[in-house]
Amino acid sequence: MTSAPLISVRDLAKHYPVRKGLILAKQIGTVRAVDGVSFDVHRGETLALVGESGCGKSTTARLVLRLIEPSAGRIAFDGNDITEVKGAAQRAMRRRMQIIFQDPFASLNPRLTVTETLTEPMVVHRIGDDASRRARALELLRLVGLRDFHAQRYPHEFSGGQRQRIGIARALAVNPELIVCDEPVSALDVSIQAQVINLLKDLQARLGLSYLFIAHDLAVVKHVADRIAVMYLGQIVEIAPKRALFEAPKHPYTRALLAAIPQPDPSRRGQVKPLQGDVPSPLNPPPGCRFHTRCPFAQDRCRVEMPKLRMVREGHATACHFAETLPLADLDFRSGLSTTAQMRLAIYENAKKQRV
Amino acid sequence: MSATQEAAEVAMPERPGLLARLLREPAAALSLFLVVALLLAAICAPLLAPTDPYDNDLTKVMQPPGSPGLPLGADAQGRDMVTRLLYGLRVSLLMGFVAVLIGGGLGAVLGFLAAFYQRWLDGPIMRLVDIMLSFPAILVGLAIAAIFGPGIFSVVLALSVATIPLMARIVRGSALVVMRLDYIEAARATGMTDARLIWRHLAPNCLSAIFVFATLRFGQVILLGSALSFLGLGAQPPVPELGAMASEGRNFLFFAPHIAVVPCILIFIVVLAFNILGDALRDALDPRLRL
Repeated sequence: MTSAPLISVRDLAKHYPVRKGLILAKQIGTVRAVDGVSFDVHRGETLALVGESGCGKSTTARLVLRLIEPSAGRIAFDGNDITEVKGAAQRAMRRRMQIIFQDPFASLNPRLTVTETLTEPMVVHRIGDDASRRARALELLRLVGLRDFHAQRYPHEFSGGQRQRIGIARALAVNPELIVCDEPVSALDVSIQAQVINLLKDLQARLGLSYLFIAHDLAVVKHVADRIAVMYLGQIVEIAPKRALFEAPKHPYTRALLAAIPQPDPSRRGQVKPLQGDVPSPLNPPPGCRFHTRCPFAQDRCRVEMPKLRMVREGHATACHFAETLPLADLDFRSGLSTTAQMRLAIYENAKKQRV
Repeated sequence: MSATQEAAEVAMPERPGLLARLLREPAAALSLFLVVALLLAAICAPLLAPTDPYDNDLTKVMQPPGSPGLPLGADAQGRDMVTRLLYGLRVSLLMGFVAVLIGGGLGAVLGFLAAFYQRWLDGPIMRLVDIMLSFPAILVGLAIAAIFGPGIFSVVLALSVATIPLMARIVRGSALVVMRLDYIEAARATGMTDARLIWRHLAPNCLSAIFVFATLRFGQVILLGSALSFLGLGAQPPVPELGAMASEGRNFLFFAPHIAVVPCILIFIVVLAFNILGDALRDALDPRLRL
């Protein structure tokens, strides 16, 4: 991918002041929800942002869309700086990036029919006339696998998966180039998750969309992403192509995340050491490397000096002082899979391939 | 999904209209009928009333209901109660409507602004509301009557002012809940103007709270207006007003109870009918409750 990125984020930060006092509130601290995040998303690419709850994934997503204002940093969309655009320019920008939400029960206005929900963005951007908008709404419904007679219904008449499809159709209504997917499947059943994920991939192939895909489920991420950025406490600790990240994770946190993926292998029981301790408060992040409080490899340098995100291989960057010298075995989950379990999994895989 | 089932879904009949949905509920149908009847009676009072509301006949003073030519009796001045009630209904309904419309409307706007521009306006607006709330309606009425002189106008103004803070608080509360929902963010992500966002996405989803409070307040306003009239701040004799009529009848409660009781019954019916209708309207307007 050598072309110019569709969206380019540099040193993006969102700090929330914490105030105390009734009338003359004094600022007593700052929550560093997002603290210096940089990444690019190219055309037709899916960049997944992963990390545990509260690490700033969703905040980053909303910052990119300018739904909340960044405290620092720049966002460029298709080469144009959009960090401070207002008015008509901002509306034009909004037309090119859309969002899909996590909770399908909160993301649709219960007072609007499906047609109204789908035509609303077109009305706002003055696309077409009433008849063409309605036709487009039906087209969108078919595109996401719903049917024409669904158009006159209200959101409460649909299931969670169907609502998520409507949410996707709404995002597509204005032909955006980038869609931010904020945990689009984590509120759905596993079987529905697969449908929605495949729909998203299908749409990406047909419409050439770019996704910024927020998730905490690594199995989902492995399926949809081209590249993955791992976030911890408001910072990106590792960013790499999917294959490189899963095969050779460099950052201890990434390794811990990967090791926490459940494996269908009973012999692994007791061998996986989950991370100790809790995520430190973003109100008072630890000095040096933010992960050092929980890192099994932490050394003195980690407690003092904040590691920079640096390239360790082509396209693979990580923020760890000792990325090259970390012992592999401790958290390597691949070797933990016993041979019998591997054979059994291979049989499953083969059966799956034959069916397709 | 079987083929027949699907065909049935495709051929779904038209959704019933608002009126049809209202009439399905017997209590709602009755309240709608009552409200329409009351409104018609108030509007057509000059046509329906058998006599002039100010026509007193001292030979008929305090005649009980059922006397010849006086189905509801006559008051202490010998005026026909039916006529007085019809004209009184006019004044009371108008008072209730205007006060709820103006006070509720302004209050709702303040509430929406406070919730939507929470960062800048919530503090100032809600402190203003707190200040307004700290004055009892009666006191506001007294002050306004002192400025503009007693009369219907002063009462309506006082009642409107007293309604603003209550509505503002209720609307702000429910708007704050709605503001946190994703569809508001989705609407914002489409790039619409704030006005459209409030009007089309925020306000409709706060409607049930507004409806419930407006109808409740309508009843309260009529009663409060009566209280103000009773204090001599509102409708001045001989203008008929339901509350004023009830308070005039108070002196004769032992000899001619109907003078006070009949207007009270009418107030009761008005308040009840509007409350039930408001509830029914709220349900009928909510797509989630449609069958």
